Amino acid sequence: MLKRTDSEHCYHCGELVPPGTHLTVEIGGEPRPMCCPGCQAVARLIAGSGLDSFYRLRTELNETAPPLPQENLYLAYDNPENCADFVSALDNGEHRAQLLLGGISCAACTWLIEKALLANPAVSGANVNLSQQSLVVEFNREQLPLSEIFQQLLALGYDPHPWQLSQGARLIETEQRAALRELAVAGLAMMQVGMFGIALHAGDIQGIALEYRGLMRWVSLLIASVVVFYSARSFFHNAWNNLRFGRLVMDLPVALAIGLAYIASAWATLQNSGEVYFDSIAMFTFFLLLGRYMERQVRRREFLRQTDLQSLLPVASLRREGDSWATVPTRSIRSGDVLLLRAGETIPADGVLLDGGGAVDEAAFTGEHLPRSIGPGEQVSAGTVLREGGGSMRVACDAAGSRLATMLGMLTRAGDKPTLARLADRVAARFVGAVLVIAALVAAYWIQVDATRALWITLSVLVVSCPCALALATPAALTAATAHLRRRGLLLVGEDSLEGLLRCQRVIFDKTGTLTHGELRRRETRVAEGSTEEEALAIAAALEQQGRHPIAQAFADITAATGLREVEVVAGRGIRASLDGRRIAIGSPAFVSETCPGLPAPPQAPGHWIALAADSGLLAWFALDDSPRSDAEATVAALQGRGLAVELLSGDPSNAGRELAQQLGIDAVRIGASPKDKLEHIHSLQAAGTPVAMVGDGLNDAPVLAAADCAFAVNQATDLAKSQADAILLGQSLGPLDDAFAMAVRCRKIIRQNMSWALAYNGLAVPLAAAGWVPPWAAAVGMSASSLLVVLNSLRLK
Amino acid sequence: MDSLYILIPIAVVFCAIAIKLLLWAIDNGQYDDLDKEAWRILMDEEDVQRKEQADRD
Repeated sequence: MLKRTDSEHCYHCGELVPPGTHLTVEIGGEPRPMCCPGCQAVARLIAGSGLDSFYRLRTELNETAPPLPQENLYLAYDNPENCADFVSALDNGEHRAQLLLGGISCAACTWLIEKALLANPAVSGANVNLSQQSLVVEFNREQLPLSEIFQQLLALGYDPHPWQLSQGARLIETEQRAALRELAVAGLAMMQVGMFGIALHAGDIQGIALEYRGLMRWVSLLIASVVVFYSARSFFHNAWNNLRFGRLVMDLPVALAIGLAYIASAWATLQNSGEVYFDSIAMFTFFLLLGRYMERQVRRREFLRQTDLQSLLPVASLRREGDSWATVPTRSIRSGDVLLLRAGETIPADGVLLDGGGAVDEAAFTGEHLPRSIGPGEQVSAGTVLREGGGSMRVACDAAGSRLATMLGMLTRAGDKPTLARLADRVAARFVGAVLVIAALVAAYWIQVDATRALWITLSVLVVSCPCALALATPAALTAATAHLRRRGLLLVGEDSLEGLLRCQRVIFDKTGTLTHGELRRRETRVAEGSTEEEALAIAAALEQQGRHPIAQAFADITAATGLREVEVVAGRGIRASLDGRRIAIGSPAFVSETCPGLPAPPQAPGHWIALAADSGLLAWFALDDSPRSDAEATVAALQGRGLAVELLSGDPSNAGRELAQQLGIDAVRIGASPKDKLEHIHSLQAAGTPVAMVGDGLNDAPVLAAADCAFAVNQATDLAKSQADAILLGQSLGPLDDAFAMAVRCRKIIRQNMSWALAYNGLAVPLAAAGWVPPWAAAVGMSASSLLVVLNSLRLK
Repeated sequence: MDSLYILIPIAVVFCAIAIKLLLWAIDNGQYDDLDKEAWRILMDEEDVQRKEQADRD
């Protein structure tokens, strides 16, 4: 069941409805509360299209919807030249587009998207893949431009991107299918061999004619051969590849057990004597493959979202050609070109502004979400966003030389995470050694005592010591821990993230967007005499709606007043308009005082103060700031309570970082750090022997996340940051961080218990087998029981 | 008991056919998205109910 569908939380996204907001949409016959006009628009569209059963079917809350942009930002995709790499022509004259969708949270989303798109007669096919978060849509380009599809997806509350499968992603897809094929063969073969296995075991106990025993053994041999040579080949490969370099890994005892049991059983079948273990081989292979498949499945999703340089830049740009502007694909831009920049667009290249100006959001490099004002002659960088204003720029270097490309290049250099010898492999190395020594001793002993039985007893020692339980000990515990953390709101992606977490002694947080919400919110409103708060907010919201400055977010939850005329947006300073015969203005005190000359000085209190005034006098002061997440303080305290050092590492040079650190009780602070500084800081800590965990969100955090021993990305993080993280927070809360540390400790305890048990079982069974006392059915039961115990023990991780 | 000589090979042939079908389904992309398929059956039922409701009205 979904939590938080009461009157205080948004019915669409589950966020707390801000006080003073009274937005509703009628869904399922009842008015439902909405937190912001964005969510309201999406919910209204869903309910209005008769798709409201989406809300009953969904199992996860939606993401908070951003307000819809006023113009269609995707028009460049209507030019076939710009989308050749993700749109392909079909034989019947239609086109197929591949898109990645942000914001898909559960299966009901796939239903909603497919239903909504197929309602359009020009769309002949729509298929959403939930685990890849991708959409393949087939449509008629003449009747429906591609930009309309993008726009419709955006209106439903999802964030569409063109999707090109990278080489790596394609490889993962092929591997995943191959793994599934191996698993399917092992599963069906296991059932068949198991059937004959039961008959053979029963025959061992109550007697069976040699003729039929031989028949069943031959058939079992045939089917088990398929399992060994097809499904289990990856174990042999891995074991051999590592062995060549002198590494003993968990796959080695697995390969030895499967290989030896198979050879022994095949020999017994040929000789029509001895014992066969075909059923154990098939079962063991199947369960190991199953565990591996599920482990991979989790990692696949995040890998597919990896970002490259192209996807961070706009698809098309406007280039000066003669006297006019021509739309050209961004990748064809060269040094020396003159480009037109418009408000709201991502700057496609590094260069110098020729004319115009505005406010540019450089969060990609600094992590600071408040834009910087720029004018002619100033540098702009590819990947930053022009929030307001406009103008033209001269490109200074090709895409490969841009600051953005340099930062992405840092990723590969930051690359290799400190690798740890995995606990399972360390145990495996000793285990293999011990088993081989014991088997050799047993063989030597029995050759002296009774040479005819020596081969069989030695083989039974090797088979009984089959490390099923040992091999399952770690994956079973990790799977259980991953599932539990997933329910608590943390998605573990990295293979060794829990083991990495255990070593971390220091947790480093980014500031904007990680410890804070990453957007401006109203902190305080001081209304002037003769004006009411409600009126002032409505006017402010109406004015701010006109601009694209991030300050507008702070008023997005207010229903705006109507009747604005003669609107004038001054980039980086404020907005002016006429309302009911009065001139009004909102913005920085200096800007507003041009409209209202008698403007008093702003209040002396923390926050970013903006004024709202009419020509007759001040209406209100608003203090805006980027507020910390509600549980940031509690999480920091909890982590410190675990004996971890907590540090704040911010790219923002202002003093806000120090203030926040003080507020949250963080002692160590570094501000104004460039992505390179951040990376060097982490490396120097690691060189001094302090493993670090990093929590971040932005593009500028990606190299640091890649270098950290354990990296977390918050929910709103850029795809690039997410792709470098070992774990991703799924909700607004930072609390799951503390859960993850707690879970890592418990998980290690369970893994140790599992391993002790598995080793104890083998320790007991091997001497019995060495004495020649273990019949094959007892070995099979023992193996299954010990594996089951390991799985049940792991399930205690709840 | 001689029937085993016929029945067991038949069982093996059926097993081979089942494997073949499963591999075909995998290559056909039918198992690419295991998360969604588990839900699809519930969604379709929703449609049927809606239609029945409409028929009654």
